[in-house]
Amino acid sequence: MIALHVENLCVKADNRHLIENITFSVEDGSIIAIIGPNGAGKTTLIKAILGLIPYQTGTVSLFGRPFKNNHSDIKVGYVPQRLEFDRTIPLTVSELLGFTLPPVYPVPFLKRKSAREHIEGLLKIVGAQALAQRSIGSLSGGELQRVMIAKAIVNEPKILFLDEPASGVDIEGQERFHDLIRRLNREKGLTVILISHDLNVVYRYADNVLCMNRKLICTGRPEETLTDEVIKSMYGEMMGAYIHSCHEHD
Amino acid sequence: MNMISEFISYPFIQRALLASVMVGILCPFVGNFVVLRRMSFYSDAISHSAFAGIAAGALLGLDLTLSSVIVAVLIAVIIAFLSEKTGLSHDTVIGIAFSGTIAAGMLVMGMLKGYRTDLFTFLFGDILSITDKDLVMIFIIGILTILILLTFLKPFLQITFNRDLARVEGISVRFFEYLLFLIIAVVITVSLKIIGMILVTSLLIVPAASAKNLASSMKRLFVLSCVFGVVSGVIGLAVSIYLNTSSGPTIVLVSILIFFITMFQKGSITSQ
Repeated sequence: MIALHVENLCVKADNRHLIENITFSVEDGSIIAIIGPNGAGKTTLIKAILGLIPYQTGTVSLFGRPFKNNHSDIKVGYVPQRLEFDRTIPLTVSELLGFTLPPVYPVPFLKRKSAREHIEGLLKIVGAQALAQRSIGSLSGGELQRVMIAKAIVNEPKILFLDEPASGVDIEGQERFHDLIRRLNREKGLTVILISHDLNVVYRYADNVLCMNRKLICTGRPEETLTDEVIKSMYGEMMGAYIHSCHEHD
Repeated sequence: MNMISEFISYPFIQRALLASVMVGILCPFVGNFVVLRRMSFYSDAISHSAFAGIAAGALLGLDLTLSSVIVAVLIAVIIAFLSEKTGLSHDTVIGIAFSGTIAAGMLVMGMLKGYRTDLFTFLFGDILSITDKDLVMIFIIGILTILILLTFLKPFLQITFNRDLARVEGISVRFFEYLLFLIIAVVITVSLKIIGMILVTSLLIVPAASAKNLASSMKRLFVLSCVFGVVSGVIGLAVSIYLNTSSGPTIVLVSILIFFITMFQKGSITSQ
């Protein structure tokens, strides 16, 4: 089944195309990596799909149904590239995750036992049990990313959009993070759309890759698609495919 | 002790106490959103637009509270609409509304004949002149406001945390932002008679800011801000009666004293 289908998507700003005629499909339960140089429109593409910025032409459908301005009953998870929030906000990790769950009336701060267990379970999945009562502003980059993944999957979405989720996280943290995404994909059948600059990550974790530079350049399995020629056309003559020898594709 | 019980036996003191407790809960409850969303300037603009509403009400012979609510709500909608549609910063739009409503209020005031002491109640506030009708109105609006905020607390807090994430989760950000702007406008207007146009913003902001100094969770923020609001209101009222000072400024000064105490407390917690 097709989880996401994007048809002829165009986003313009000041009469300039930020992305132009992008068309692609993503199979349910797969991981697709979106790659491209800086300014290629990767974040714009995800934001347009999610309805966070308007697009001039094109259509987006999730699981066969049109998806516009999030007026859909299909649950979607999203982890942005840089999460902007007030770091002084007095908000615990547990409260943040509880926002997404249905409120308990008449005391919205109260959490049902099942909700509490759900939140604890999610934090365990992402390896952040110890963070439940920590203030969200006091978390490190890696801790925050794990919490944001937990938040993105709190409502058990069918599809997860990750915009360079591991940027600013150390190598070990990045590896743990991508392993977590792979595990969620396998265990929960989650479809994952992932923006990454790291070709090793793409080879190691993605089922398919989408290369773009404002326009769609190519799409397919990483080992077949990411040829030297394609990489040079995106990143310039100085670049080529180099796979780190210690990472094998699983 | 005798003096306190004698004072409390006066109906106007009882009404003032009730009003200070109600506004002491209502203003900080709403004020938490003003502080978290950095909307202090917005609340100032709304209180000044209420001044224009009061002046217009006096000119047209309308109920002053009603006219101030209408104008404040209208300005709130205009600010939200212009911020969304013009691409100007929120700050700039508020600045325009702020000066525009003050100018309109002063212009209309100049058209009034004679000296209107009742208008000064709204400018500086007079908690001791609160009537039963005022109390009922504050109570009804207070209950309605808190019920709406509690019912939609999660979406309001989601939007406060991050608008994009809220939108992806299917929350109608525009609807809830307009609703919040309207709630702030209504709460400011009904509090005017107690604390006055000039000081009303401080009762929204100061207890919430004091609570933010100490709170480590959202739950604590809401509880502490209301506690600080009620304590400021009741102690401020008692001190103003004892020292024979104006009640509004005394309440605000007590709340600022609490703010400094919490700030030093926060400093000592941070330095430990």
